[in-house]
Amino acid sequence: MDTQQIPSNPAVPTEKPMEITITLPTNAYFVSGIRDFTLGLIRNMTEFSDQWAFRFQSVVDELCNNAIEYGSKPGDNIIITFINHPKDNIEIIVKDSGSGKVKITAEELTSIVKERTNPQYIHTGIRGRGLSKIVSEWTDELVFNNTGNGGIEARIKKYLKDPNLSQNTGNPLENPTHLVLNV
Amino acid sequence: MTQANITIEDIPVSTEGITAKIVRFQGQLDESNVDEKAKFIYEILEKNPKNLFLLFDFEELEYMNSKSIGYLTDWYGKITEGGGKITIAKTRSNILDILQVVGLTQLINCYTTIEEAKLALLQKPAEGEAAS
Repeated sequence: MDTQQIPSNPAVPTEKPMEITITLPTNAYFVSGIRDFTLGLIRNMTEFSDQWAFRFQSVVDELCNNAIEYGSKPGDNIIITFINHPKDNIEIIVKDSGSGKVKITAEELTSIVKERTNPQYIHTGIRGRGLSKIVSEWTDELVFNNTGNGGIEARIKKYLKDPNLSQNTGNPLENPTHLVLNV
Repeated sequence: MTQANITIEDIPVSTEGITAKIVRFQGQLDESNVDEKAKFIYEILEKNPKNLFLLFDFEELEYMNSKSIGYLTDWYGKITEGGGKITIAKTRSNILDILQVVGLTQLINCYTTIEEAKLALLQKPAEGEAAS
């Protein structure tokens, strides 16, 4: 009987994903360390540009701050997981402890963020821009899930290549996640 | 607390009734320190509710979070309501990126040099235009 080797699909990355999980006390003072870690990780372990390394710094900062301020009480921990799929995407998950004063479901949070990402929405307060203006703009996927202990897990993904390539109009102003600034 | 410093210096002006200052930011503005640091600017606003012209020098600002953007937007609103103006100078590329993604560069102009920012700050609006 003839056997034939099926060639691997060159479009599918075969390198194993790298996963790093950090448990952080719920204290804003520690988040600067996570920002530094994020910058170093993206620069040294992924193919994202320096501009994107800084952007992920902001994304992680915003997600961590929300998890600490709204989703957890002092003395608890939040969990941050980085999953790098080489040559494909980076995934970052931030999970709160579910012990925060603000009790909100993933569905409610999704609805709030959706409202605030509407171009007609006018931000008036000091707060409320982190998820809708920074995290949403600089990620390809932003998903909130309820955890078993009443908390929320925020999951983002950013692809190295634009997942909406077929819809790319070629006008950089219409694809803000891939705008390259020469400053 | 993450390190951040703010220094404030008067800008000499020839027009009476105007207060102009250059505000230099250094370090990182984040959740651990931004509420504390924002008070410096609110103090200036309280003492000068009208015709306040502020030049923000961001050359040594390494990071700013979304709450600091919120404060910047609030200062812009209060200062322009009082007939004043804000300009920003010498932002690092990552800071400019943040300002652009949140749309703040549509409200506040950013300049590459202090001199350009100072000129734009103290320039009188063209005849027929509302004061900013």
